[in-house]
Amino acid sequence: MTEPLLFADIDEPGLNTLDVYARRGGYESLRKALTSTPEAVLHELEASGLRGRGGAGFAMGKKVSFLPKGSMDKYLVCNADESEPGTFKDRELMQKCPHMLIEGIVIASYAAGASRSFIYIRGEYQLQADMLDAALVEARNAGYVGENILGSGHSLSLVVHRGAGAYICGEETGLLDSLEGKRGNPRLKPPFPANQGLYQGPTLINNVETLSTVPTIIRIGGEKYAKLGVETSTGTKLVSVSGHVQRPGNYEIELGIPSREIIYGLAGGPPEGRQVKCWFPGGSSSPVLTAEELDVPYDFNSLAQAGTMLGSGAIIVVDDSTPILDVALKVAKFYAHESCGKCTPCREGTNWTVKVLQRIEDGQATPMDLDIMASVQEHIIGNCLCVLGDAMAMPIGSMIAKFRDEFEVHIESRQLSPVGASRALEVAGA
Amino acid sequence: MPRPQPRTITFTIDGLEVQAPENSMLVDAAKHGDIEIPVFCYEPKLGNPVGACRMCLVEVEGIPKLQTGCSTPVKDGMVVHTQSERVKTAQNAVVEFLLINHPLDCPVCDKGGECPLQDITFGWGKGTSRFIEPKRHFVKPLELSPLIAIDRERCILCYRCVRFSQEVSEDYQLVLQERGAHSYVTTFDGHPYVAPFSGNIVELCPVGALTSRAYRFRARPWDIEDAGSICTLCPAQCNVSFTVRDERVVRVLARQHPDVDDGWLCDKGRFAYQAIHVEERITEPLVRDGGELRPASWERALQEAAAGLRRAGPRTAALAGGASTNEEGLLLARFMREGLHSEHLDTLAGLDPAELHRLSEPELQATVPDLEFAHTVLVIGTEPVRDIPILDLRIRKGVRRRAVKLAVATPHASSLDAGARLALRYAPGADAAFLQALAEALYGGEVEQAARAAEADAEQLRALAELLRTGGEEIVILYGQRVLAGGGAETLLKLARGLNLHGHDGAGLLAVPAGGPNGRGLLEAGFAPGYGPGLQALPSGETAALGAEGIRAALDAGELGALYLLHTDPLRSELPHEQWSAALESASTVIAHASYLTDGLRAHANVVFPAESYAEKEGTIVHPDGRLQRLRPAIGRQGATRAEWSVIAELAQLCGLDLGVPSGSAASQQLFDAVPFYAGLTLEEIGGRGVRWQERDAAAAFPAPSSGRASAQATRPIPGANGAHPPTPTPISLWDAPEVEFSPSLKFLHRERVSA
Amino acid sequence: MSAFEEAERELVERTAFARAGAARQVPRYDHGSRVPGWDQAADLDKDPAEIPDPDTTPVPDDLRAEIEAHMANYPDRRSATLPALAAAQRVHGWCSPEAIDQVACVMRVTPAYLASVATFYDMLETTPVGRHSVYVCTNISCSLCGADELYAAIRAAAGEDTEFNVRAFECLGACDIAPMASVDGVYVGPLSVEDVPQLLDDVRAGRPVLPDKQLARRLVADPRANSREFPLHPIEAGAAAGSVEGELERRS
Repeated sequence: MTEPLLFADIDEPGLNTLDVYARRGGYESLRKALTSTPEAVLHELEASGLRGRGGAGFAMGKKVSFLPKGSMDKYLVCNADESEPGTFKDRELMQKCPHMLIEGIVIASYAAGASRSFIYIRGEYQLQADMLDAALVEARNAGYVGENILGSGHSLSLVVHRGAGAYICGEETGLLDSLEGKRGNPRLKPPFPANQGLYQGPTLINNVETLSTVPTIIRIGGEKYAKLGVETSTGTKLVSVSGHVQRPGNYEIELGIPSREIIYGLAGGPPEGRQVKCWFPGGSSSPVLTAEELDVPYDFNSLAQAGTMLGSGAIIVVDDSTPILDVALKVAKFYAHESCGKCTPCREGTNWTVKVLQRIEDGQATPMDLDIMASVQEHIIGNCLCVLGDAMAMPIGSMIAKFRDEFEVHIESRQLSPVGASRALEVAGA
Repeated sequence: MPRPQPRTITFTIDGLEVQAPENSMLVDAAKHGDIEIPVFCYEPKLGNPVGACRMCLVEVEGIPKLQTGCSTPVKDGMVVHTQSERVKTAQNAVVEFLLINHPLDCPVCDKGGECPLQDITFGWGKGTSRFIEPKRHFVKPLELSPLIAIDRERCILCYRCVRFSQEVSEDYQLVLQERGAHSYVTTFDGHPYVAPFSGNIVELCPVGALTSRAYRFRARPWDIEDAGSICTLCPAQCNVSFTVRDERVVRVLARQHPDVDDGWLCDKGRFAYQAIHVEERITEPLVRDGGELRPASWERALQEAAAGLRRAGPRTAALAGGASTNEEGLLLARFMREGLHSEHLDTLAGLDPAELHRLSEPELQATVPDLEFAHTVLVIGTEPVRDIPILDLRIRKGVRRRAVKLAVATPHASSLDAGARLALRYAPGADAAFLQALAEALYGGEVEQAARAAEADAEQLRALAELLRTGGEEIVILYGQRVLAGGGAETLLKLARGLNLHGHDGAGLLAVPAGGPNGRGLLEAGFAPGYGPGLQALPSGETAALGAEGIRAALDAGELGALYLLHTDPLRSELPHEQWSAALESASTVIAHASYLTDGLRAHANVVFPAESYAEKEGTIVHPDGRLQRLRPAIGRQGATRAEWSVIAELAQLCGLDLGVPSGSAASQQLFDAVPFYAGLTLEEIGGRGVRWQERDAAAAFPAPSSGRASAQATRPIPGANGAHPPTPTPISLWDAPEVEFSPSLKFLHRERVSA
Repeated sequence: MSAFEEAERELVERTAFARAGAARQVPRYDHGSRVPGWDQAADLDKDPAEIPDPDTTPVPDDLRAEIEAHMANYPDRRSATLPALAAAQRVHGWCSPEAIDQVACVMRVTPAYLASVATFYDMLETTPVGRHSVYVCTNISCSLCGADELYAAIRAAAGEDTEFNVRAFECLGACDIAPMASVDGVYVGPLSVEDVPQLLDDVRAGRPVLPDKQLARRLVADPRANSREFPLHPIEAGAAAGSVEGELERRS
């Protein structure tokens, strides 16, 4: 890849202002889109092969096309609740180039026929929300948002809605409930948001990065965009790399490059003298891969074939200085804390897992507990209302499967301590 | 609005071909094949499924993931497995998960023996648990309200109770706080959950987390018997099931009837059973002796009463109300007319029976479900939550689930205002004037002036007229019978004609009776001045038949000597207290049937016969929409109480009239024979679900009303020309009743309501 | 001391005590601990909590205006719940029963509805807390880089200071500056234990917190995103980040 698309001159001073953004060709894509028909815009989006950058990787154009035609109120919601551990790419985009997102939203709303839109941004991103609000004022004053945009007849209202701290609101239906002013509990699907979403109306929900890519697609054309990347994963992707790497940060890559190139080439690999123990390829919800799997091409399908997922594009590297138990406990505690409590397997399963892991940590476990824990993960996967339960069970399951030996060594070494031994006997006798 | 008319489809479940209504949820469709899919959170009464508990996971061929049976609509040709290994594993897993944080304190749990969690654990659980961590423990039980105790350890977070509070009763007081496994059911800042329908959450709870404080530890399921009957504490006439232990009612549960109550009960209906077994209850005859009412033998009481009635003869009047059955009304009317030759019988509502006759036409009659499916519902002159509570929930359901357009027109703010498109106010007592103004608005008349007369807003009246004109033809008007006075009835009939409600399916009028829970039945049984059974106008006798107000005046003037009060007390009504007090004072003989000594009886009754409670009574009553429902005794009569139909018959006998009723069912038979449009009915046909007489062929025998018949009397004064309205009494809430006052656990409500 | 003064002093002490307690331990965020409320019964002497009566529920004018402005943003007024609660929290310091009553009164919803929402979200405080929030990310990426030690150090340094609300937070979306914290909404990192005294001092003194470590001033890590040389961070004062802040200030 030669030139970045989303990150092109991202640190240009003042890019967050309309002046600089417009001077660099900003809102030209919107003008172009508004001179063609919504169908033509939709066609470009479909031709681009752009897959959602939020986590699920669903084809964006197809998602737009699912919205029913007709004159009812339709909504577009931008999911800016970036809260998947390890992910911070949307933050960078919103902070540095908020107009690109706004432009993408207006174009997408035109294709989808939506007249009201919302950016649901996580409450912690105060700076970014302020930047968006400021950019929105500029865009409104310039006529890019509001009534009869650029004389096209298309109207769109846009509100920046701040969340208040709940991971589950990144789940699209939890987000909708939260945006409606409720607890952010995910909803049963079907009905899908495309049919009954916000206020029961047809709703298109897309991630910040996805929508921010839209102006580029309109500018260069969907087919040209599709030439980037690999067949089933087109385009470029922002990857957030963190954890045990020398240069943590966001990198724009062309999909399909070897993962090793990202972790070692871009992010500099683990600190001197340490080795990669495992890595999450797509946020903490993705099953971990080991050092042997570093050459997996970084794209949707290759990662799926490797038994994991690209998710939000967040690589978390864990080196050999950290016990796998610490990683598992951190991950499990996070999901237990963030489980909304609506469905049984997630609410109870995440907590059970934390308790068993805690017991392992306390030296009060037996290897049999690993079997129980593995089975608990299996009982969670696929049985929950939304994917939060799976998001814990998959990585924890992968850790037990790939690092069972280390768990067992840990259990046995801790059991030798007097407290652990007596507790283990108690448990065995009970 | 068109009601769902699902076609029948065939699907395969566990290898069986089963027919079920299309798009019914798999959980319900499976029942057609006698297959049970276990559920916790699923309860169709609460609205759309939420799929939270995950107990109902099943395998549907062609769909890779297991699906929740509670939310998967069945389609033709669908192939479903509920017994496969995958499904069993998932079911076992969910039970195991649920029991992690459940204390399993079944031996000391009130729900034990009738607990869905127990049943499902037994039926679909693995029987073992691998969870060895310490369970969490909390202080329990805790008060959630004066009526309900909460045990948070037992809660499985199925969301039923909070969904009820939020999506059914819409009081939004009961909520979940915190998140994940920390979530718990609670109210705001330690406030109690007090709302008119709060008790339903006890019945909804699938575990022992929410229990009735009145029922706690009173019985085990194997100690009790269930007895189905009807709650007669208000005109809603909800179907109930009495839980009986050792001849005592210890609990009331809903006996779901979609055409009556939708499976809900108000707190009065659920908890007022306690007043059946209280000291204050009259369980033996009382006779005034030396100025005091004192217990007496049946023989003496009957003799004294008969003597008084014989003395007064045609100068006797009778007033009925409360839970009087059709049979009691019929027999008392016969006794009055044939035995004492008196025509003076009425309910306290004092409405013109000729007008009621015209409003009762089958073609004009809306049903309870019509409230839910109509295009537009107009509530006028009634506050349902106070007058007929369960319909409050039905109206909310229609608005919430079917986008029914609701308009409320009342003298005071209504609890339904929030969900209404239009909420109109008019001056207390100006019901008729308001109806007139609405008619003007609908038919292009002089709105401003008419609106002023009713002290209503002309603009809003026009908006209401517009809504009624254009909002769809299925319009239901739910009206309090108070609006009929002073020409209101005539205007209402005019509106009904103009809006084309006559004979239009799904449209019509629905009255909230002013004459007690069985006001409609009493009228149909012939307990009305000048009207015999079946709304047949009687030839006018030498003296005009007096209605309630006429009876009062005649008593006051000394023209009447005796007054027979069947389950009613004018001094505990909205009628002018002092005037009635004087009238009762003037009566030489006052005979009453009553369960409690209310003010009027304590001061004025000469003989009080103990009345049966509604759990002891047999007979029939009529719902405001024409449904005949049957009361069945759940417990034996308390103390020396006798069947009241037999007391009336004995009195008649003592006055020389043989009513010919050897048994309760014979009385019912007499009723069916006497009312032409009940012809051919039997108690069996009424059964446990009731039957609307309008839906039977015999309805054709409904006598055509003569439109211009002069009424027997002017029931109420007409508003003065200067717009001043007659002083109207404050309506008495049904919560302000002896049953509420005397039920230990409802006493707090009584205080609250009375002081409010 | 008059009885009134005495009562007032007691109230102040009680509040201070509650705040100190809350700062020491916020049970909800200590994973797996007990939740306040589970053991709480309803007070049967209270009236049911219905939608507050405007006549008896005074609401500060500014707060009312802000909530009403939020409600106007949405087709359904209830969508304003989160911004309205956040506004009330800014006024009252936390979502106290009084604050919730005020929001309920303006929004015409029951206070229970709002309490239910407030307790769902981590940023809405339902117990009294210190004025200055320090959210320390202790999720996976940050903890790999020493966040747990950092959190312990900040807790220890803040000690009994009731001005601070120090909390371990889930991933704040700034793993590139791990370990990090959000101090009154300002992201700073990477932090070391040595930074802690200055961090707290800056807050106490009302200065911008650790200006050199603010996220707002960092450039993107990707070397191809800019024409400048890699590595780019951290940058000198007055460059891009400075202009961002200036821009925001200019507009507001």
